[in-house]
Amino acid sequence: MTKTQETELSFPAKYRLTGEMEGCADEQKLELFERLLKTREFDARMRKLFRQGRFEGTFYSQIGQEACDVVIAYQLDQQDFVGPSHRDLGASTGKGVPLKNLAAQVYNRVDSPDGGRYTACHYWHPEFWVMNPSTSIVMNWVAATGAAFGYKMLKKDNVAVAFCGDGATAHGDFHEACNFAGVHRLPIVYVVQNNLWAESLPVALTTALTDLSHRADAYGFPGISIDGNDVVETWNATREALKRARSGAGPTLIEMKTYRWHGHSDIDPADYRSDDEVAHWMERDPIPRYEQYLRELEVLSDDALTDVRARIEAEIEEAVDFAENSPRPAPDGYLSHVYAEDYPGFEFGDRNPGDANG
Amino acid sequence: MSAPERGGETTYLEAIRQGLWEEMQADDSVFMLGEDIGLYGGAFKVTDGFLDRFGEHRIIDTPISEGAIIGAAVGAALMGMRPVAEMQFIDFMSCGFDMLTNVAAKNRYRWGAAVPIVVRGPAGGGVRGGPFHSGQAESYYAHTAGLKVVCPATAYDAKGLIKAAIRDDDPVIYQEHKYLYRRIKEDLPDEDFVVPLGSARIARPGRDLSIVTYAAMVHVALEAAEELAADGAEVEVVDLRSLVPFDEETVLTSVARTGKAIVLHEAPRTGGFGAEIAATIAEKAFEYLEAPIVRVTAPDTPVPYSPPLEDHYLPGKSDVLEITRRLLGY
Ligand SMILES: Cc1ncc(C[n+]2csc(CCOP(=O)(O)OP(=O)(O)O)c2C)c(N)n1
Ligand SMILES: [Mg+2]
Repeated sequence: MTKTQETELSFPAKYRLTGEMEGCADEQKLELFERLLKTREFDARMRKLFRQGRFEGTFYSQIGQEACDVVIAYQLDQQDFVGPSHRDLGASTGKGVPLKNLAAQVYNRVDSPDGGRYTACHYWHPEFWVMNPSTSIVMNWVAATGAAFGYKMLKKDNVAVAFCGDGATAHGDFHEACNFAGVHRLPIVYVVQNNLWAESLPVALTTALTDLSHRADAYGFPGISIDGNDVVETWNATREALKRARSGAGPTLIEMKTYRWHGHSDIDPADYRSDDEVAHWMERDPIPRYEQYLRELEVLSDDALTDVRARIEAEIEEAVDFAENSPRPAPDGYLSHVYAEDYPGFEFGDRNPGDANG
Repeated sequence: MSAPERGGETTYLEAIRQGLWEEMQADDSVFMLGEDIGLYGGAFKVTDGFLDRFGEHRIIDTPISEGAIIGAAVGAALMGMRPVAEMQFIDFMSCGFDMLTNVAAKNRYRWGAAVPIVVRGPAGGGVRGGPFHSGQAESYYAHTAGLKVVCPATAYDAKGLIKAAIRDDDPVIYQEHKYLYRRIKEDLPDEDFVVPLGSARIARPGRDLSIVTYAAMVHVALEAAEELAADGAEVEVVDLRSLVPFDEETVLTSVARTGKAIVLHEAPRTGGFGAEIAATIAEKAFEYLEAPIVRVTAPDTPVPYSPPLEDHYLPGKSDVLEITRRLLGY
């Protein structure tokens, strides 16, 4: 830590990262950095394309919150179950889902994992065990709880990870799921990203608690609150929670304090927040802080960073190209996938079963 | 945004806003609660300006807790208030299903207590909302005795029906069609008016065939009827306006006159409200029928997201034309 002068920091010195990332080899630290940066860059690119009208629908930016997703997702095995919400790009990118599938999802084209049937900007990939986020808030959390229950019944070593926001913790089903997991000591890690806002609702109108981790007290498992923009702290806390889940000791709830830089969706000007608040959180950007940490450890050099950036840029280019060239789904392409088999009596295509001509 | 001005050209959305505003102004027991309705003015801006005018004690930004929103409305109604609960999307009313169908709907039946609440919110497709933001919830609730269900198609009705719903002494589900919010407008009267629940309207008179419909599909039916008029066919369009109570008389009178009926709705076919309409016609106007009753609906799938899929999914003018032509020649 001696080589760097305070003046070189691109953020206030108090946000400098210190301490060890337990059990994290240098190559892992670097790879984690690449996934964080990739998440940021891909998000920024998609956001721009949305503004240019390159795809229909909506866009939820995760910029500012990447570490909350990426750090834990990076540590998972392929068959560990991930239940993301609507702002969890990093749950996919952290686990290594290729950008091209994610881009096709945003573009709602045939190469989207859901073939364009489901809402855009709901990042997921079945082969990576990242489930399709539920627009109906917190249902992903409940389903991930069920997945953990399944792992337990099947006596598998896998764990589940569920994500939600501060706002979602007010939903009744959040409590039912947590309580269930506590009773059955399920192998699950619950991550609440407290970004201070649920759309326009300040967190003080979501809860009378100051730390959302205290919700865990009611379910009989540990809850902790951490700085979700501190990669080192986030690594250590999630590593511990995953270990606990894998060992059969049960769930952990981690509240990660963080911030979304942009509006709830990209049509939200977010003028309910003060500029000061936004500026304050931008100073705590997780990525430069972690970059600085890696430089101080001499894990990241200028050359390495150039390579990382070039790889990311190339993958993003390829992904955008792939999505833009992926065909739109055939108009009747949504008529399957409703049941295991289509059966008579239900109408999937013909609007006129009672043939009026007899 | 300022106080809504009465009269003049008014959008469907502005009409709802006017109706809500006037009822809040007229009756202190009316208050609103929901997600992002205060500071933000509602996800679709239906309640823009309400927080400034009516204050935090009557415009309540709630946590994301639809069950508790509807529950709080029910409880406050028991205390003599007239709550209007907003669902950010009508799809999420499912999170308060128990409060609605077991508590609100059955309170009068269980202990004679009135629950004069309105639960309102945007429904319907055509805005690229996907499977969780485009639903039509009417048939879940129309099936529950004790609840009333309203689905306005015009700005006039949107205003008149929200006012009637708020004044009604029973729980009313007021389903707004988000596709219509800013797409339709009309001149509204300067004076106060309400549209009573349970009164259908003849949106276009005709004597050859009746299309019985509601909400956004009224406009699809009208477009089709206009096109058919060029061929010399006179198609009558019946806009139900409210499903419960159901204006059976207007529907049966229309079908008795035309002898042919299409039932048109945007929701999927199986178990849709159209089945109820068709069954009523079959039971009570059978001898007037000259052709089978045909339903034109969405298929039995969730609402798909990608534009080409959603365009195929939604019943459109061409579907109505095809079936109407076939029935006219029957
Ligand atoms: C059951 C339900 N109610 C309402 C909504 C609308 N909605 C979508 S996201 C959101 C706010 C979520 O806030 P939070 O959980 O804090 O997550 P963030 O957006 O901050 O990441 C709301 C109200 C929804 N999707 N589902
Ligand atoms: Mg939030």
